[in-house]
Amino acid sequence: MAADKSDILQGTLDLMVLKTLDAMGPQHGYGIARRIEQISEEALQINQGTIYASLVRLMQKRWISGAWGTSDNNRKAKFYSITKSGRKQLNAEARNWERISTVIGRVLRLADRG
Amino acid sequence: MFAWIRAIASRTRTRLSPRRVDQEFEHELQTHLDMLTDENIRRGMSPEEAGCAARLKLGGVTQLKETNRELRGFPILETFFQDTRYALRMLRKNPGFTAVAVLTLALGIGANTAIFSVVYAVLLKPLPYANPNQLVTAFAANTQEGIPENGTSYPNFEEWRAQNHVFSGLATINFHQLTLTGRGEPSVVETCVVTPEHFSLLDVKPLQGRIFFPEDGKQGAPPVVIVSENLWRGTLGADPKILGSSIVLDKRPFTVVGIMPAGFRSPLINSNQEVWIPLVQDPLFGSWMARRGGHWLPVFGRLKPGVSVAQAQAEMDAISERLASEFPAENKGWTVRLVPLQKEIVGDVRTALLVLLAAVGLVLLIACANIANLLLTRATSRSREIAVRTALGAGRARIIRQLLSETAVLGLLGGIIGIALAYAGVQVLGSLMPENLPRLNAIRVDNFVLVFALLLSAVASIAFGLVPAMFSANSNIQASLREGGGRSGESGNRRRARNFLAAMEIALAMVLLVAAGLLLRSFSKLTAVSPGFDAQHLVKAEISLPQFQYSKPQQWTAFSDELLARIQAQPGMKDSAVVIPLPIVNGYINIGFDIEGAPPASHADSRLANYASVSPEYFRVMGIPLLAGRFFNQQDILSGPRVSVISKTMAQRYFPNQDPIGKRLNFGFPPNADVDREIVGIVGDVRDVSLGEAPGPMMYVPYAQAPFWGANLVVKSTLSADAVAAAIRQEVQKIDKDLPVTDVGKMPDLIDASVSQQRFRTFLLGLFAAMALILAATGIFGVISYSVSCRTNEIGIRVALGASRATILRMILRETLLLAFAGLVIGVPCALVASRLISFLLFGVSVHDPVTLAAVAFILAAVAILAGFVPARRAMQVDPVIALRHE
Repeated sequence: MAADKSDILQGTLDLMVLKTLDAMGPQHGYGIARRIEQISEEALQINQGTIYASLVRLMQKRWISGAWGTSDNNRKAKFYSITKSGRKQLNAEARNWERISTVIGRVLRLADRG
Repeated sequence: MFAWIRAIASRTRTRLSPRRVDQEFEHELQTHLDMLTDENIRRGMSPEEAGCAARLKLGGVTQLKETNRELRGFPILETFFQDTRYALRMLRKNPGFTAVAVLTLALGIGANTAIFSVVYAVLLKPLPYANPNQLVTAFAANTQEGIPENGTSYPNFEEWRAQNHVFSGLATINFHQLTLTGRGEPSVVETCVVTPEHFSLLDVKPLQGRIFFPEDGKQGAPPVVIVSENLWRGTLGADPKILGSSIVLDKRPFTVVGIMPAGFRSPLINSNQEVWIPLVQDPLFGSWMARRGGHWLPVFGRLKPGVSVAQAQAEMDAISERLASEFPAENKGWTVRLVPLQKEIVGDVRTALLVLLAAVGLVLLIACANIANLLLTRATSRSREIAVRTALGAGRARIIRQLLSETAVLGLLGGIIGIALAYAGVQVLGSLMPENLPRLNAIRVDNFVLVFALLLSAVASIAFGLVPAMFSANSNIQASLREGGGRSGESGNRRRARNFLAAMEIALAMVLLVAAGLLLRSFSKLTAVSPGFDAQHLVKAEISLPQFQYSKPQQWTAFSDELLARIQAQPGMKDSAVVIPLPIVNGYINIGFDIEGAPPASHADSRLANYASVSPEYFRVMGIPLLAGRFFNQQDILSGPRVSVISKTMAQRYFPNQDPIGKRLNFGFPPNADVDREIVGIVGDVRDVSLGEAPGPMMYVPYAQAPFWGANLVVKSTLSADAVAAAIRQEVQKIDKDLPVTDVGKMPDLIDASVSQQRFRTFLLGLFAAMALILAATGIFGVISYSVSCRTNEIGIRVALGASRATILRMILRETLLLAFAGLVIGVPCALVASRLISFLLFGVSVHDPVTLAAVAFILAAVAILAGFVPARRAMQVDPVIALRHE
């Protein structure tokens, strides 16, 4: 009973948040949202609020932790950072994701040829 | 797995200070908004533009907070508490609505629970014996003679017991009264006469002492008795040394060997049970044990484990066939019919109870429709509140959940008050209940019944809550928000739903009213039926003679002669007679007869008639008319020629187109079954079985020629019943101080009591119909009132444009009548179906009784108009100036 894979979109957002925190270190909600938008080259226009549902879920699973801190422009903000078990989960999920995308890619090429 | 547990732990933790976490989250979102705004400004937007764009980008803050809360806490539980708190607040704010809704529901639940407790106790609760479904009754039946259920003889019972392989035990039971003397005043004890297996078969433990052993049933065994706890604590004074000592029954000592606990009752016997004695010791039945021809012993048994009723039936069929060929004189045509004991005990009460349950269910349905209507009305005035909630981000499911919580709270309140009402109702029912209802003592509100009541209120609250909740959640937000307060705007859907509910209420009320009307008419016809005798000023008393002291028929005659002579000598008590059995009160004795010179009876016309033994004055005292020949007289004595008087029906059925006077019949009550008697008179018919049953053929014999060890004394006197009873007691004591006089009663009261079951169900159904009528009336009142308040503007305009008050009144009343008419159109076919279902309860009334239908339709229309009249008057008084300014 690791991660809930039933809802792909939700799971995908969680994975992206984990990856972002893994790559960037501690970050607040706004920062995570901006980063995901930038990385996806603005292709993924998320409603930034949905990030917070993802954050609550990840917190509950103890894959990230949160603490209040001060932002660049001296604002009080909650900073999230990835935990050890979060990193383990990220690795597992990332491998899983690659496998799935490879399989899907293969299937799609197969369909093209047929 | 651990992740899952941790998630729960984390959720639980955040439950600790939800408000603080909420504030933190709000702060977090605010920071996010600020950062977004800053960036937008950097990109060159004006501060206002920047803030707006930021809010768009982030999404609805309230919704985010709601989602966050749901993710964090246990949302269902949390919103449940929230909703319940809110619901209670809303209900407190509308005390009028709350009171009406809760009371309506409480009445419905209470009535249902009370009736269900009766149904449960009588029909569903297992019999209070070990493995009750193994218990069956074995009837002797003779289809050729049209006898479905009868007892058997002791010799036949012995064969059944010896030859079968399907029963682990078979027992017989019979009942009569014995006289207990030597312990204070002589008294009559209700006696069960059993074979010893009776107790071991039922697997019951005595309170003290032992049950009967097989040796107790043998000829020549010392007489033993088991007494009930009640008799022991009462008449026997809780004597601690009662075991082993003896009590005197019918002047004969019996050794007490056991005490049965108060809760124990023998099956098949409906009366009170005070002592049990072995059949072989019984002064009356004991002497019949050797006769194979009688059919007087009820038999029941316990099936061996794994044996079905059908298997046992097959075996008993084979046994009865053998017995018929072995003893054709006594057993030809007789078979055995097995019936599960529970089914036999409940008997035909079952269907009548189910009818009552269905009726009370309809009442609850009407109550639910009423509450649904109230809720719909309220939902309309609350549509603005709901629109605001929707706009603030509440989902449709969330709104429905909240509205359902409100109705659930309503339902629970109604259920709790309803259960309290049910407790009271069961008390009242208990006092109203006819005493011959089986298993009466088991009726109470127990756990099973409580669960039923709670389930019922849950189902009811969902039923009346879901419809308005759906409508509310569907409402158009923008329209609702724009409207002032939902006063004039009401969706057509909702109005149609309300009108439909009101019409349904009328239809259901019609079904109940028609059923109640039919029962009421049946009952009045039943009680108006003449029993064939004049019960006025008639008092009866029962005297039974101890068998050991009065063992010879001559003694019985001598006693009754002396008694009658003494009673008739009392002032004002000249008209006295002796009879056994007394019509309606004692039941009846049905025996076969032969006509001298006629060919043997064919199967088609079985020669069976009811039998009564009467003293010469009987017909005059009872007011039974003489149609031909003569009554009995003082010369018809044991040593004289045997005579008989027959009833009109008997004369017409068996002597068509001939004069029966002078013809001879051969019949008799066992053990003197074979006696020739000359018909000397024909008298009017008497309803001896029950008021509801048409009189059958009947034959009378002089008491002097067919005496009994006890009899009913009937006295026609203008003296008070108490005076008559006192005189009877005094005279009986003068003859024998040890003779008890029992069952003293006024004949009209006894006839009344004989229709107590009919009265009971008629009363209850009438009560339910009245409840239905009141509920339906309030339903109509509610709908029309609301409609008038919605149409205040319209009415104001009409009046301003010159409509007269009468026109307005007509307009509103037309609306009411239309509603009532719709209800009647649905109701009539339903009522016809329902009345066909209860046709077996009717007496002298057609299922499609037009009088009842018309009366009910008229009552409903009148009540509807009455209910509509109040709001219609209000509509009439609308002041156009005020109504229009109101806008």
